[in-house]
Amino acid sequence: MSKKNLLRVLIICCPLLGLALMPPTNLAQKSQPAISFEQAVLPVLTDYCVACHNEKKPSGGLNLTTFKTAASVLEHRDTWERIQQKIQSGEMPPKGAPKPEAAEIKAVTKFIEAEFERADQNTKPDPGRITARRLNRAEYNNTVRDLLGVDINPAEDFPQDDSGYGFDNIGDVLSISPVLMEKYLTAAEKVARTAVYGAPVMKPSVVELRGQGRKNAPSFTPLRDYDATGLSLPNALHVTFRFPVEGEYSFKLHLNGQRPPGSAAVKFALWVDGKQMQALDLDPEGRASFSENKQDFDSNTLDFRAKVPAGEHWVAASILNLYDGLPPSFQGQNPSQKPEPPLPVFKLREGVSAEINERRKKLFDEKLKEKAPVNTVRVSRVDIGGPYNQLLGATLASRKKIYTCGHTDGHHQAECATKIIGNLARRAYRRSVTAEEITPLTNLVALVQKKGDSFEEGICLSIQALLVSPHFLFRLEQERPVTGTASNEIGYPINQYELASRLSYFLWSSMPDEELMRAAEKGTLRKPVVLQAQVQRMLKDEKSRALVENFGGQWLELRKLESAKPDKDKFPEFDEYLKMSIRRETEMFFEGIVREDRSIVDFLDGKYSYLNERLAKLYNLPDVKGPEFRKVSLAGNAQRGGILTQASILTVSSYTTRTSPVLRGKWILDNILNAPPPPPPPGVANLDEGKVGTSASLRQQLEEHRKNSTCASCHARMDPLGFGLEKFDAIGAWRTMDGKFPVDDTGTLPDGRSFNGPDELKTILKADRDAFAQCLTEKLLTYGLGRGLERYDKPTVKKIAVNVAASNYRFSSLVLEIVNSLPFQMRRGSLKNYELAPAKIAEARTK
Amino acid sequence: MFITRKNLHRRTFLKGVGAAIALPMLDAMTPAMTAQAKAPVRLAFVYVPNGVVNIDWWKPKGTGKDYEFTRLLKPLESLREDFFVLSGLDDKNGNALGDGPGDHGRAGASFLSGVHCKKTSGADILGGVSADQVAAQLVGSKTRFASLELGCEDSRTVGNCDSGYSCAYTNSISWRTPTTPNPPEVNPRLVFERLFGTADLSLSPEIRARRAGYRKSILDLVQSDTKKLVTNLGANDKRKIDEYLYAIREIELRIAAAEKDNRQITPGIEKPAGIPITFVEYSKLMCDLQLMAFQTDLTRISTLMFAREGSMRVYPELGISDPHHPLTHHRNTPEWIEKVAQINTFHVKLFAEYLQKLKDTKDGDGSLLDHSMIVYGAGISDGNKHNHEDLPILLAGRGDGSLKPGRHIAYTPGKPMTNLYLSLLDGLGARPEKIGDSTGKLDYLTGLQA
Repeated sequence: MSKKNLLRVLIICCPLLGLALMPPTNLAQKSQPAISFEQAVLPVLTDYCVACHNEKKPSGGLNLTTFKTAASVLEHRDTWERIQQKIQSGEMPPKGAPKPEAAEIKAVTKFIEAEFERADQNTKPDPGRITARRLNRAEYNNTVRDLLGVDINPAEDFPQDDSGYGFDNIGDVLSISPVLMEKYLTAAEKVARTAVYGAPVMKPSVVELRGQGRKNAPSFTPLRDYDATGLSLPNALHVTFRFPVEGEYSFKLHLNGQRPPGSAAVKFALWVDGKQMQALDLDPEGRASFSENKQDFDSNTLDFRAKVPAGEHWVAASILNLYDGLPPSFQGQNPSQKPEPPLPVFKLREGVSAEINERRKKLFDEKLKEKAPVNTVRVSRVDIGGPYNQLLGATLASRKKIYTCGHTDGHHQAECATKIIGNLARRAYRRSVTAEEITPLTNLVALVQKKGDSFEEGICLSIQALLVSPHFLFRLEQERPVTGTASNEIGYPINQYELASRLSYFLWSSMPDEELMRAAEKGTLRKPVVLQAQVQRMLKDEKSRALVENFGGQWLELRKLESAKPDKDKFPEFDEYLKMSIRRETEMFFEGIVREDRSIVDFLDGKYSYLNERLAKLYNLPDVKGPEFRKVSLAGNAQRGGILTQASILTVSSYTTRTSPVLRGKWILDNILNAPPPPPPPGVANLDEGKVGTSASLRQQLEEHRKNSTCASCHARMDPLGFGLEKFDAIGAWRTMDGKFPVDDTGTLPDGRSFNGPDELKTILKADRDAFAQCLTEKLLTYGLGRGLERYDKPTVKKIAVNVAASNYRFSSLVLEIVNSLPFQMRRGSLKNYELAPAKIAEARTK
Repeated sequence: MFITRKNLHRRTFLKGVGAAIALPMLDAMTPAMTAQAKAPVRLAFVYVPNGVVNIDWWKPKGTGKDYEFTRLLKPLESLREDFFVLSGLDDKNGNALGDGPGDHGRAGASFLSGVHCKKTSGADILGGVSADQVAAQLVGSKTRFASLELGCEDSRTVGNCDSGYSCAYTNSISWRTPTTPNPPEVNPRLVFERLFGTADLSLSPEIRARRAGYRKSILDLVQSDTKKLVTNLGANDKRKIDEYLYAIREIELRIAAAEKDNRQITPGIEKPAGIPITFVEYSKLMCDLQLMAFQTDLTRISTLMFAREGSMRVYPELGISDPHHPLTHHRNTPEWIEKVAQINTFHVKLFAEYLQKLKDTKDGDGSLLDHSMIVYGAGISDGNKHNHEDLPILLAGRGDGSLKPGRHIAYTPGKPMTNLYLSLLDGLGARPEKIGDSTGKLDYLTGLQA
């Protein structure tokens, strides 16, 4: 690579440093800290940095010769933040170059930090402004569920929500298009009719679902110790299916595989959400097949029936006691009682030559000698049919939520309309409503009745109107005129209804419940005791699962699991069941921290987890039997503990065919340390995939890559972190060899700290727990506010992280600190300035 | 790259325009056939898998008008004046020709194309353009859909479905190009929505009109509500609400445009919920959809596969729990032979019911059957022997007078199936020089002899 090209790469590689090219202008005099810039910083820059970062050779786009005074630190704060981070972490000066003494480094970083702190103290506090947030898909689904008792996930049909700053609930980014509006209108009608009249009558129909199941490797002798439920064997079928309504459904299993002749009937079981619904026997002996001396299950079917509630469910079909019921000669458990059938006899075919018949006979005899495997029967497909005996009519839950006039059935008086709609509007808009707002809605009821339709039809229509109103679709916060003098005005507290909404969408991704609404109505919600009690109640509530699904799903990148497709040849055991199980583990782990109010440090190294038999098998942990998840202690386990060693995280941070220390290192920098590396420069050669594990180990290859100093500056930090997890393969199973090379999971961070294996890596991360606390604070605050964080939020983040540490890192203390923070409680008053520039929004989308 | 706000607006706008066709709450608009126009000719192919149990149980004794009905054809007796039995036609390219086993894969691929397909289960599939697609490419532009491919089983086009032959060969008889199969649509709901849109047509026109009126009241209401709101918002919030108002106005414009266009047709059946539970309902529904697509002139060319070639379907409605394909290799077991015969007859019965419906459907100066040419058959003759000569073939309809049915025509052995297609495409006004292995047109269909 020529020098010119190298320079180009460097500039692209480190875009932030590029800003530094502008010369300082304003040299305003400010009070100096004890040691001066000239004493602490300038000599270090001159001796160790300027050689590579000067006017003629601004490596990474950085020219340090222009930074001659303390004032430059605040004028080019972004650049200095980066400089400070690079020096502190040891990434700069790079390996091989002379390094300053530890004391010198400390003096530099201390000076810079002090400058930042001084500046922050002098900055006027600013709560910021949150742009009106449109309900995203999850919020829409949950809100109609809680508003009307209609749990049908209508937003599934909506276009994907855009996300910014890593989350899909950012007001500035969530837009509304005519397509979405049309979907809103359709959904409003569907939801309103379901609430008032019940789910539409559905004609039974069939949906064919193929699992990702495989055959068991053929075996000719029965096992004794195996999963008797069959659920975790490869031949089971696992699918998730959204049942449109509550009712009965038929399940036609399609089978294939073989068993020895004379085996007893095979018992197949149908499971819904891990519960066995029904078990049926099938004996294919005598049915048409291509195998003459084996029981052949190919294309046989078996019909089950089960009652299932509406919504998404995990459906599984497995074989119970797979290795039982074989003919006695196999010496398995519970042998078959049937006599072994006689061997088939060869029949001559008429009208063909003797030669052909001879050839057929030879083939026949060969086939006769083939033995049937004992374990290849499997379920390859399920056809789910239904609904039958569908429950009709509005549910009691819906009727209770709508008919608040004192009676839930018939004979509604005209004045009921005002009462019913007034109450619905208050809940749909999440605030008190005025008579002027209710009248047009009750007019709709009158209009419908005038046209000859019923009162219910009228209520239905006004619900539709509510559901497409901007007051429902957006979380609008009142604009208040600025009072007081502009110089000390930092904003105003949002009103109590708005606070209730911020709380409920933060923790539940849904509307406030009646208790929150009442507290807002009475004006007591902001009282510290009330607020604290409400937050704690909300976290304990079942609905806080939304926080795990939506915040956790995005922060930990669990949503990526949906599209994760590890290579089938390299990881044949990665099936639907394992995929569901690994996601569930991390969700339950997060839920446990929320519900039991545990320390957030558990994320790094909680010595317990939640496992079922399938996952325990992947983790090599005995004694966990059956499909139910349960809390399992990991005390004394050197391999597992904390999210970094959970298969979900290890899978989403891998390629489909192999692990990537780079991706895993980046995952940790992004999500645990909040120090995302810049994107890679274009034109850098990728790893030679063919070589990994064959002619060179992954580590050797990456080390080759790091010899390039352009790459080294970022990879020196990223790769070692990832190498600490190298003993987990691309789906999170433990390994000691990668191809023909032993796995080396040692690493040394740029600051000199080294570790051997995941446990020691976690010890280092735990030592940096305050960095993690700050990272989680920034992520959760972004999510809670629905906007990207700005420089003026830094003091808030810092303060929260410090207070959380003082409260033993309890999860509820983090949530409470956020809820009580300035940006969560207040809104900046000015109508004019400060609005987010368009370029910022575009930037947010790309983040 | 920085995206400016202006670009975002444009993107949002384009998103809206792009989806203007999908209007779930409006009735679908389709160009209705004008009554005075001459009825067009339609061409359909109905495919059955795994050949028949014994070609002699299928082929009538005697030729010409006074042939005797066989057991397998029995269900068609009442329609004898409306169809031909054509015997002696071959699909020679279904044979191994040195490629070894895989007669089901080859039969599916060559039945309509007359081309010997490449043996592969990978992505490098290679067959030939099928007769329906030759027709669609020549005359398909006259209707909204050049052709319609339907099926009642599995439409996968990847994987190995027969002895190293790709599922594309067994699962699609229609091929747009030698490398592009047209996989059949197997979900009746999706077929319906493609043809007729997504409106809820189960409601009476009055109720639909009334609800459309209600929707307009809602739009009026939220609009006036929102306008009041805009006055008291910050710039960013206002931008969001502007987006909202823009979306509402767009929808009003579309509703207004749709109201002006009153050319709408109503399909004769309500929207299917999905795939019906039983095969009888399923296959009937697919026949109905093909019929309606013809009746409304949304297309004139269609294929329908009762099952994929090599099908393993079980027929519980006939009391048969063994899969179809292994049954056909019956090893002379009488019960199995009987079961295959029942399945064959069952398919013919479903076809007879379909023909009766076409006959009962008025179309221009006659019935839909009068204006149709419908080929029924398989690319395998005897399912046990896997031979591709003397195939079981029926041809129904009058092709608007170009066909004179009511006869059994026994061709001299060795005539390619594709010669039949060449003749039929003539009646459609499409005149390709050749289809696959065709050697010329087929004689006697217009009634000159035999």
